[in-house]
Amino acid sequence: MPAPNARVLVWDWTVRLFHWLLVLGVGAMWWTAEQGVMDWHRRIGLALLGLIVYRLVWGLIGPGTARFTRMLARPGAIMAYVRDLAARRHRPHFGHNPLGSLSVFAMLLALVTQVSTGLFAVDVDGLESGPLASKVSFETGRLLAEIHETSFKVLLALIALHVVAIAAYLFLFKDNLVRPMITGHRPQTDVAPPQPPLRAPWPRILAAAAIAAATVYAVLAIGG
Amino acid sequence: MTIRPTSFAFAALAGLALLGACGSGDAPAAPVDAETAALPLSNGMTAAETIDARQTHLKAVGKAFKTISDGLKESEPDMAALQAAAASVPAETAGMADWFPEGSGPASGVKTDALPVIWEARADFDSKMADFKAAAATLDTAAQGGDIAAITEAFKATGATCKACHQTYRADD
Repeated sequence: MPAPNARVLVWDWTVRLFHWLLVLGVGAMWWTAEQGVMDWHRRIGLALLGLIVYRLVWGLIGPGTARFTRMLARPGAIMAYVRDLAARRHRPHFGHNPLGSLSVFAMLLALVTQVSTGLFAVDVDGLESGPLASKVSFETGRLLAEIHETSFKVLLALIALHVVAIAAYLFLFKDNLVRPMITGHRPQTDVAPPQPPLRAPWPRILAAAAIAAATVYAVLAIGG
Repeated sequence: MTIRPTSFAFAALAGLALLGACGSGDAPAAPVDAETAALPLSNGMTAAETIDARQTHLKAVGKAFKTISDGLKESEPDMAALQAAAASVPAETAGMADWFPEGSGPASGVKTDALPVIWEARADFDSKMADFKAAAATLDTAAQGGDIAAITEAFKATGATCKACHQTYRADD
């Protein structure tokens, strides 16, 4: 029988670091784009590329709550979860709940679209361009820049939805999801049935980080 | 509320598909008053022809600038391509002084990013076009000289004249 104030790890430290660096990074990308500080937009964009590659690899080799396979919920499970929410029945989840998983996949897809189009994007004057833009024509670079702009609006909408959802869990269901994303922990009593302890082994962290760094290095090497 | 991630994802995909389909065409945005739009402006062309022509020229300049910018990123740029691109800019913009006659702004009903303030601050606008033309001529000379450092500097200076004008006189910038 666990102590009443026992806590259990739900997010490993790399997932938490990824999350908050992403918040800073996306904010910085928005600001640099609006202000036209494009040399920093490119630098921070490359850092975000590495960060996102890390998260994608971590989704394959990371611990339970970071894994994409664990986040894939069947439509039936999603519908059941939505019915529970609609009936104001909420039970804390160990990791992503079925709806939260959808939101995470959507945000990751939008982020992947952002960084990959940004690599090749060209501004209308042909003066500013992504690190790999020399590999595509002006017309293709322009099209990718248009997609880059549109998918940012989609990303912003997804982020707004995410924040509203977190607020809804806090105020409607009295479930604070921000604290676990900072400390990593939830009360043991939130997690039923008991889960095996979450592990983020160093060899795996280093492997994912190495793949992320290699991706950024490859972009720099190809882009010149 | 919380079920909306899916619909956003679909909206995103639909948006991307649409973008792919229509590209960056410059179709008329507002309904055009056929009679006004057909009247020749001081350059002898209609507003639609004028706007189409200047957009075509400026796109060619953007394309040339990309060639130069790509070249300057390389350790050993294709100097012939870079020189041809730099030479094309003064050629494309030779008639620039006549590209913005009265009546070729957004009030014509033809879609254009040219802002009405162009015709309110004409002297400043003209001087900014002159700055660009001087910078582009210097860039061409530097490119034909073949010195990378000089080209890089002249390219930056030319880009700055583009931005100086677009900042005030072009929408969405």
